[in-house]
Amino acid sequence: MAGRTAAERRLSFQPFTRLLQRSNCEPHPEALPARTAGAAPPPPHVSRCPVNASVPGSLPSRRTLLRAAGLAGAALMVPLSGCGATPAAQNGVTTLRFMQNKPEVVDYFNQVIKDFEALNADIRVVQDFNEGNFVPGLVRNDPPDVVTRGFAQATADFVKKGIFADLSDMPVANTIDPKMQELINSWGQYNGSEISALPFSLAAAGVIYNRDIFEAHGVSVPTTWDGFVAACEKFKAAGIAPIYGTYKDPWTLAQGMFDYASGGTLDVAEFFTKLNAKGARVTKDSAESFANNFGPALPKMLQLASFSQNGAASKNYADGNAAFAKGQAAMYLQGPWALSQLVAANKDIRLGTFPLPATNNPAETKARVNVDMALSITRNTPNMAAARRFVNYLLEPSVVNTYNEKNAAFSPLKDAPAVSNAHITGLNAAVAEARYFQGAVTYFPPSVPVNNYIQSFVYSKNGEQFLAALDDEWRRVAERTAV
Amino acid sequence: MTTTSRVAQTAPPAGRKNPTSAAGTVRSKSRIDPTYYWMVVPVLALFAFFITLPALVGVFFSLTNYAGYGDWKFIGLMNYVNIFKDPAVLQSYVFTFMFALTTTVVVNVVALAIALGLNAKIKWRTGIRTVFFIPMVLSALIVSFVFNYLFSNTLPVLAERFGVTPLATSILANENLAWLAIVLVTVWQAAPGATIIYLAGLQSVPSEVYEAADLDGAGSFRQFISLTLPLILGYLVINVILGFKGFLGTYEIIVGLTGGGPGMATQSVAMRIFSGFTGGDYSYQMANAVIYFLITLLISVIQLRLIQRRGVSL
Repeated sequence: MAGRTAAERRLSFQPFTRLLQRSNCEPHPEALPARTAGAAPPPPHVSRCPVNASVPGSLPSRRTLLRAAGLAGAALMVPLSGCGATPAAQNGVTTLRFMQNKPEVVDYFNQVIKDFEALNADIRVVQDFNEGNFVPGLVRNDPPDVVTRGFAQATADFVKKGIFADLSDMPVANTIDPKMQELINSWGQYNGSEISALPFSLAAAGVIYNRDIFEAHGVSVPTTWDGFVAACEKFKAAGIAPIYGTYKDPWTLAQGMFDYASGGTLDVAEFFTKLNAKGARVTKDSAESFANNFGPALPKMLQLASFSQNGAASKNYADGNAAFAKGQAAMYLQGPWALSQLVAANKDIRLGTFPLPATNNPAETKARVNVDMALSITRNTPNMAAARRFVNYLLEPSVVNTYNEKNAAFSPLKDAPAVSNAHITGLNAAVAEARYFQGAVTYFPPSVPVNNYIQSFVYSKNGEQFLAALDDEWRRVAERTAV
Repeated sequence: MTTTSRVAQTAPPAGRKNPTSAAGTVRSKSRIDPTYYWMVVPVLALFAFFITLPALVGVFFSLTNYAGYGDWKFIGLMNYVNIFKDPAVLQSYVFTFMFALTTTVVVNVVALAIALGLNAKIKWRTGIRTVFFIPMVLSALIVSFVFNYLFSNTLPVLAERFGVTPLATSILANENLAWLAIVLVTVWQAAPGATIIYLAGLQSVPSEVYEAADLDGAGSFRQFISLTLPLILGYLVINVILGFKGFLGTYEIIVGLTGGGPGMATQSVAMRIFSGFTGGDYSYQMANAVIYFLITLLISVIQLRLIQRRGVSL
């Protein structure tokens, strides 16, 4: 029932019983109009429900019963306030809670934990993959000891609030590619220099393409924007949808055409650094505004939209995976998370990924990356030493490289071997040369429904209104969070 | 058992001299059975602990810049001031009220029509009634996901085959029409509840008045306007009031159909408020919730007064 009140539910049931048996013990005050509509008022002796008059002898036992019920109710409340910190060390064994953010890799981490515990008899690790528990854990002051999170605006906010411990003095911090560490540090460091998170897995996204369709039409992977447009025209002329669009899920538009087009034409990190510095004073006329920086990306977005199949507005992400796996389009603007779905839908499909060339200079072509998993230790953990040993173990090449190789992602270690997974080898060069950016939408605070604005723009094609709305939203959020 | 029943039988004659009601009041004045307190107090405690207290905590935090975790400080009424400057929030209010008004009208027209049909002497009445009440027992979220599929896949395919081009793309993807789909599904889901109330009302109308009207030569339309409608007016008022209040809090059907889209076209107030929990915008949306609570409280008070006036005048 859509937001119905309890009173309404009670009301709608009461006449229903009347329909069936036409007898009511108590006069429902809500049903007053029934009486006014002609029904005779019930005789007074019927209207009073004889609660205690009928069974006077059983009263004491009833009272004790109710008292017992009341006590039980009170007892139920006690554990609510009583939960909290539980002793972590028993018999010299420290129990760590490890919360990771990807339910699909639970098995891998179970194996990692097993190996770790075999080497460290004094530590036991409990895996928790319910990321939704993290904030409630903070509120209860009982967060997990070691956390992995996707690193974007929300996690950066935790860093700013000092939720995580400093990891800069850990030896493994030096084994990490500084450019990947910079993806995290660029969001802002606690106390100016602390390292609150170490990257564990880097997901790189671009254009997923169907190798069979490309080969059948003699199209090679484009390296310039003009080449990309020409390839799309060629598919279109051949009656094949160049790009499969799933506009019904606004996030697919946001991480796809919006991030690719803006990231390829603009230094996104620099833009948001300046915008954040400007804070609540941003207007659409200031040099830092969306209106003055995102303009060149919008025509490219609309051109990408024009290459989508008919009826893209009614398709969602699941539809898109099913259709692309069947070969209904040549390209798909999705990240590596879609690859396993596509293969699951069609195990014979031959896929590849290339970074979208947003300009005509191949050296400027960039991939969209996000730190899919970043390792942190919560600042107030009582098990700091054990937590650091566990993080150390997770960042050993055999653990971190194997994970990324298995999950179509890039390892953050300096001397990690090149990726061999054919699905993402096309992104190797861009990642190795650090030609990458974090998607513009990941910089938005979650209170700005940026995905919906992007969807609105793709439908209305009104770029001026779109960018003005983003400027306004950004300013309002800055105003109310700046206080 | 036998003694009590005998007392009950003998009581009325005795009551002629000593009215039982008077004796009852004397007894209740002298001592109220504590059992009633044992029944009320635990419920009251649970209600206060789980509903009232969190609400008050929410009001408290609406005066701060609390994000749901971490540090916070008092910022006075800044959140309230900012809400009135936020066109996205104002738009959600406009949408929610327009939606609630439209849906209330449509639900009541549809429900009354169905109730009239189901009240008539038709074949298989019980079976047909059951069919009409099925939507009421289905979860709104499931209903909206099913309709989502119909609107996005089935309907466009059918429209394309029969050449109805305006419907060939999903109306859920159309910023100007998506709200109609939400109204439709809400009506489908909410009409049975209203129908039950109308049926109860129609059955409370004595058949004599129709016989008299027949003798006076009133046609069925005239009978409906001059007899049925005034006699079930109380039910109509209840349906309108409860329906309107329920539709103001609309949430799950929109989530299942459009998720607030396309664009920002179908964001309801409840959705905006809930976004504060995930969006680190807790205190701001709490202020929104307080404002919304005051508005619905005002509407409820007005409506309750209307009900009472109806109850007296009818």
